[in-house]
Amino acid sequence: MPESSQMVYLWSGVSVVLGLILQILPMSATMAHWRPQFVLLVVFYWLFRTPFLHGITFAWLAGLLLDIFVGELFGRHAMAFALCAYLLQLLQQRLHHFGVFHQALLVLPMVLMSQLLLHSITLIFRSDWDGDMLIAPVITSALIWPLLVWLANHLLRMQQLDRSIS
Amino acid sequence: MLLLIFVALFLLLIDTYTRWLQPVRPWLAELTTPIYWVSSLPQRISELGDEVVMGRAELEEENKRQKTELFILKGRLQRMAELAAENVRLRNLLNATELLQNSVLVSELIGVSPDPSRHTVLINRGEDHSVYIGQAVLDADGLMGQVIEVYHSSSKVLLISDTSHALPVQVLRNGVRSIAEGMGNYKQLSLRYVTPTTDIKVGDQLVSSGLGGRYPLGYPVGTVTSVNMIRGNPYMSVELKPSARIDRSRYLLLVFSTMEKLGVGEDARE
Repeated sequence: MPESSQMVYLWSGVSVVLGLILQILPMSATMAHWRPQFVLLVVFYWLFRTPFLHGITFAWLAGLLLDIFVGELFGRHAMAFALCAYLLQLLQQRLHHFGVFHQALLVLPMVLMSQLLLHSITLIFRSDWDGDMLIAPVITSALIWPLLVWLANHLLRMQQLDRSIS
Repeated sequence: MLLLIFVALFLLLIDTYTRWLQPVRPWLAELTTPIYWVSSLPQRISELGDEVVMGRAELEEENKRQKTELFILKGRLQRMAELAAENVRLRNLLNATELLQNSVLVSELIGVSPDPSRHTVLINRGEDHSVYIGQAVLDADGLMGQVIEVYHSSSKVLLISDTSHALPVQVLRNGVRSIAEGMGNYKQLSLRYVTPTTDIKVGDQLVSSGLGGRYPLGYPVGTVTSVNMIRGNPYMSVELKPSARIDRSRYLLLVFSTMEKLGVGEDARE
């Protein structure tokens, strides 16, 4: 069904932009510290949901988009997200049987992985950088995952796309 | 897969070691500005809501308070004119140069760095409003930061609280010079290399010293909140609370100082 897969690509693009807006939404310092990695979560959602349509390239593009917005080091998020997507694809066979909360348990180490990668990339390429690696977003990302999945599934059902892709 | 990783690596390398991506950045900034604008909408709407819903009594209260404030400020301003005149007279006596007059441009904050460990903000003035790199940015209460990247109609400001930022300051009371460094915390700065014999106390006001040529002289930077001698450390640990409301202010002032325009600040910019 090429037409419906086009729609899915469109919606995944829209969801990445929404995730991006949540990611850059101005917040107080404490809130920003706890802010989940929205863009990465959106990427994970599509990798879980439509593994035959979204893969490493999708994760890479979403990461690059985030890099453009963050504007620090180009390719930083792209690389971290692509590597995370690769790891997730290795687990793909198992993922089919996972429930939402089970997925959240998997999201936790994956987001931790991305934070580790982002931190190491910055350390390698920015000698003057002395920020800490953030653990807080890892926890909040896993906590918000069930809500995000519920919301996204709901929206997909409204668009009547869920039948064509499941 | 490997190709994508290599492309990302390549991008990282050229971004770090070359300046090839510099011309691309303004274009990308143009692209990102609308999304940043959208992301600031919730805040705008809540502010608008506050304005619309504000009751009459509250408005009257605010009006009264502002009138009193204006009255007090006007009173102070009268003294200010006299002091300025006196300052010029004394400077003439000393054969010193004329005091610099700074003009300002009001700008609005349109975006905050999504990375909590980087303290940068985006403002809605850029090349079109002759903003330049290294320009000092203030809010109503004190120094906020400096412009580090200029795009067509927006620019990026590095805040004084960023860990990579340091600015020359002096104690208002006695003129002791020091360097105030950011610590990655909006509410705290620290002074570097303060020897135990330095005359500095809790409550001291610090202003920019104008050394280094980047920031104009005499804008408030912060107040000393703690002075501690740490055992085995040759320097004291001095912490400040910034005067500017770094994480709150929505309207910022860009300072155009005449000295910068004459090019005195040029070498400091390197």
